[in-house]
Amino acid sequence: MALCSIQVNVNGTNYQSVVEPRLSLADFLRHELGLTGTHVGCEHGVCGICNVLVDGRSVRACLLLAVQVDGQSVETVEGLAEGEKLHPIQQAFMDEQGLQCGFCTPGFIMSLKELLDCNPSPSEDEIKDVLGGSICRCTGYAGILRAVQSAVAKMGGGQPSSAD
Amino acid sequence: MAVDIPKSFEALPTSSPRHIGRGRRRVEDPALLTGRTQFVDDVELPRMLHCAILRSPFAHAKITEVDTREAESLPGVVAIVTGDDALRWSHPAQSSPEGWGTHCLATDAVRYVGEPVAAVAAVNRYVAEDAIELITVEYDPLDAVTDPVAAMAPDSTLVHAGQGTNVMMDRVFTWGEVDQAFEAADHVVSEKFRWNRMGANPTETFGCICEWDPLDLSLTIRGSIQSPSMFGLGRAATFALPSNKVNIISQPHGGSFGGKGGTRGTDVTCLLSRKADGRPVKWIEDRIEYLTAGGSQAWDRHYQASISVRQDGTVTGLRVGLIDDLGATGEAYGAICAAKPLAAFTGPYTIPVAEYDLKLVATNKVPSGPYRGMGPPPHFFVLEQLMDLAARRLGMDPAEFRRKNFIPNEAFPYTIPSGNEYDSGNYEEVLNQALALADYPALRSAQAEARQEGRLVGIGVASAIEPGVFDWNAYAIVGMPGTGVPEGATVSIDIMGFITVRVGFSLEGQGQYTLISQLVSDYFGTDPEMVRVVYLDTQSAPPSFGPGGSRLGVAITGAVLGACDRIRTKACRVVAALMQTEPENIVLHDGLFGIPGVPEAQMSVSDVAGTMLARSDLLPPDVDPRPEATHVWTAPGRTPADEEGRAKSYLTAAQAVHVVQVEIDRETGFVEIQRYCLADDCGTRLNPATVEGQTDGSVAQGIGAALLEEYSFDEDGQPQTTTFMDYLMPTVYEIPKVEKVAVVTPSPFTPLGAKGCGEGAIHTTPAAVLCAINDALAPIGQMAREVPAAPKRLWELIRAAGDTPEDGLI
Repeated sequence: MALCSIQVNVNGTNYQSVVEPRLSLADFLRHELGLTGTHVGCEHGVCGICNVLVDGRSVRACLLLAVQVDGQSVETVEGLAEGEKLHPIQQAFMDEQGLQCGFCTPGFIMSLKELLDCNPSPSEDEIKDVLGGSICRCTGYAGILRAVQSAVAKMGGGQPSSAD
Repeated sequence: MAVDIPKSFEALPTSSPRHIGRGRRRVEDPALLTGRTQFVDDVELPRMLHCAILRSPFAHAKITEVDTREAESLPGVVAIVTGDDALRWSHPAQSSPEGWGTHCLATDAVRYVGEPVAAVAAVNRYVAEDAIELITVEYDPLDAVTDPVAAMAPDSTLVHAGQGTNVMMDRVFTWGEVDQAFEAADHVVSEKFRWNRMGANPTETFGCICEWDPLDLSLTIRGSIQSPSMFGLGRAATFALPSNKVNIISQPHGGSFGGKGGTRGTDVTCLLSRKADGRPVKWIEDRIEYLTAGGSQAWDRHYQASISVRQDGTVTGLRVGLIDDLGATGEAYGAICAAKPLAAFTGPYTIPVAEYDLKLVATNKVPSGPYRGMGPPPHFFVLEQLMDLAARRLGMDPAEFRRKNFIPNEAFPYTIPSGNEYDSGNYEEVLNQALALADYPALRSAQAEARQEGRLVGIGVASAIEPGVFDWNAYAIVGMPGTGVPEGATVSIDIMGFITVRVGFSLEGQGQYTLISQLVSDYFGTDPEMVRVVYLDTQSAPPSFGPGGSRLGVAITGAVLGACDRIRTKACRVVAALMQTEPENIVLHDGLFGIPGVPEAQMSVSDVAGTMLARSDLLPPDVDPRPEATHVWTAPGRTPADEEGRAKSYLTAAQAVHVVQVEIDRETGFVEIQRYCLADDCGTRLNPATVEGQTDGSVAQGIGAALLEEYSFDEDGQPQTTTFMDYLMPTVYEIPKVEKVAVVTPSPFTPLGAKGCGEGAIHTTPAAVLCAINDALAPIGQMAREVPAAPKRLWELIRAAGDTPEDGLI
């Protein structure tokens, strides 16, 4: 199979890689770069567990090929914390028990980062619109919803417009 | 040595617990939140290969030829295994009931769609999947049987020709004078129900890395394995290895809920490693494999059940007939789900006699396995619908009907007809709290108004028992041996006073490592940050089963507190020698060993540990110098099952009442949950935040079961739900806000009075949601008897009733 050369910035680091065109972005991140924080839940674009940001927009890393992000910037969960200091969304998930097994959590966090980067004071409907794109099997979403409210407050966005 | 395990917070060696009983941030979370937790697919080993499995496209067929030559010549392919390798190197899987297991790769016939036929180990997964497309298999298709009722007919196609029947088990259990109760009853309420296959679907599928050591003849298996010790015993049997030559390393896993399964895929991967001269082989089940043929399909059930009732509302007997479709083999232990209802057969009620007519049947579907709750959730769905039917017939309010039949407080410990003993409870208070939380009278009056407008609004009030701290004896009727499920922990204090706890289970999401740090820090008066919990594989760990059957919170509390007490006893001897007194004069309190009331005669825990490890000159001659101890806890007072399956099995009985309001859209059959309130009593709450998390998640899974989730098959046994676009998982849109209130009745039999609570709400939620739906349908004379109550099913019922809301109003 013909190989392709790609250049990708991941969490601020530039990578030059030679990959098969069929390699998924999720497998590229996980198995070529060793960034295993992005998890794979369904590999058919429904569960949202593999969500990462490409040029600031959330994508399913299982549905995108590595060659499609050539020349672009990718953000994964490994890029959020600064040393020992968790990103406010991560901290909110910890404070509010927004996770149990934690397998889906990186995908939720990345899509919420996109939301809060673009809209610091989302309404409850806007929050649900984002969360509705991902599946969590452990929490029943209660802790995740609390975590989002807490993150919004921490990040200076004030209270969501229609709590509960 | 007698070990003293505190039965309440007050009995801990501290003035007031600072950590246990509180919701604390979880020690598990920083690694999970930053992507550093190592799940099985994150593990890379030197020279590791990757497995892909070729699966049967037929539900039932003979295999006449498997040709792997073209695949073998593909660059990057290292090993290929087929049924011949399975015959050569392995035994059929162990099963329940016994004798219904097959080899991990089909040897002569395939018996369900997705059954493994061949597998490839290659340099990466992409090449392995290329290779399986190059394997050609000749099939001779046979008739498939997918309906368990048809499968019981004498002339049915046989799933296993050699068995001579598809009936794996057919037995009636009678507990008391059931015929008499039904003959004497004023009313008998009888109904058929259908619970369709659904299951766990953790967000991480199963995965493993298997290494066969060709010289040592041993196996090392890493994986997302829920019950490592049992898993290891199964592999030892499959490969005829001594049990101490199978080491299981359980990676943290992305949820299980009983549905991790994976034994067959693991055995296939082990064969590949053996054929590849011992190179490690990784198999990560993909979601389509999981949905098609994975370990999550549970509870494929046909019920015929009845209760006998006196005119005053007393329920006098229960009969449950269950035909349970276990699929093609007994390898996934779905049978134990049919046995577990014995632990709580009559629910929270004083029903004095009961009968269980149990038929386990093989069909050409995926072998069924466990799922959260293990079997009682469908049983309680049935019982609670019968309770509502009886209440409706007698003109009683469903809440008051239940109140009348609740086991009263003074009756505990209470033995139910099927033999288990409930430890404690306060059922009426739980009901009162749930009704108050929901403002039940207001709900009923709002419902009356809605009905006037022709709207299908219903309220469900349901109650169920969550058996906690599982025991093998509950499964004796389907061939599981043994009584008691030991769980061990080793607590060590190092020379600097830091504490390490070693356990045999890995992270799964319930926060047990946090719980351990809370327990130990309160026991020894330290901070939780000074306590580290370390996972041990099966060749290193003390006896351990791990999470399952709502037992680990209670069991690990017993193990850890027992180990702490053993250290305390040793340390008291050392301190007594230093203080020239007798050990019985030394007391541990708030982190200090010493003589009560003598401030100068006190030593900190770390000073004592340091003395034991670094000042042998000061120690009494015969003292064990390690500030370390292991304790293996097992539930007290368990009894082996008698001929009728009766045993003291699950140690605790948590109880809950859920009050649910729904509205059904007459045009679409869509159910909206408008209100969800619950009260539950799981005894002492060791970490209230994690208990709440378990409840929230379990309600969500219960709602999925009640309304959405179903594995369906066509009549040829072809699965119709092989993606998340067909198998509907609840999202944030389907889960309402859940209002909760706790009642606390400590267990008299457990460490700190806690009851098992991990499986939780799913015992009650499907029952409660269906009670609400049937309350909504009652005015039009209809009843939902099938789960999930999907829109298409309700729409058909509404259509059958006629379109005018006035019809059939009661």
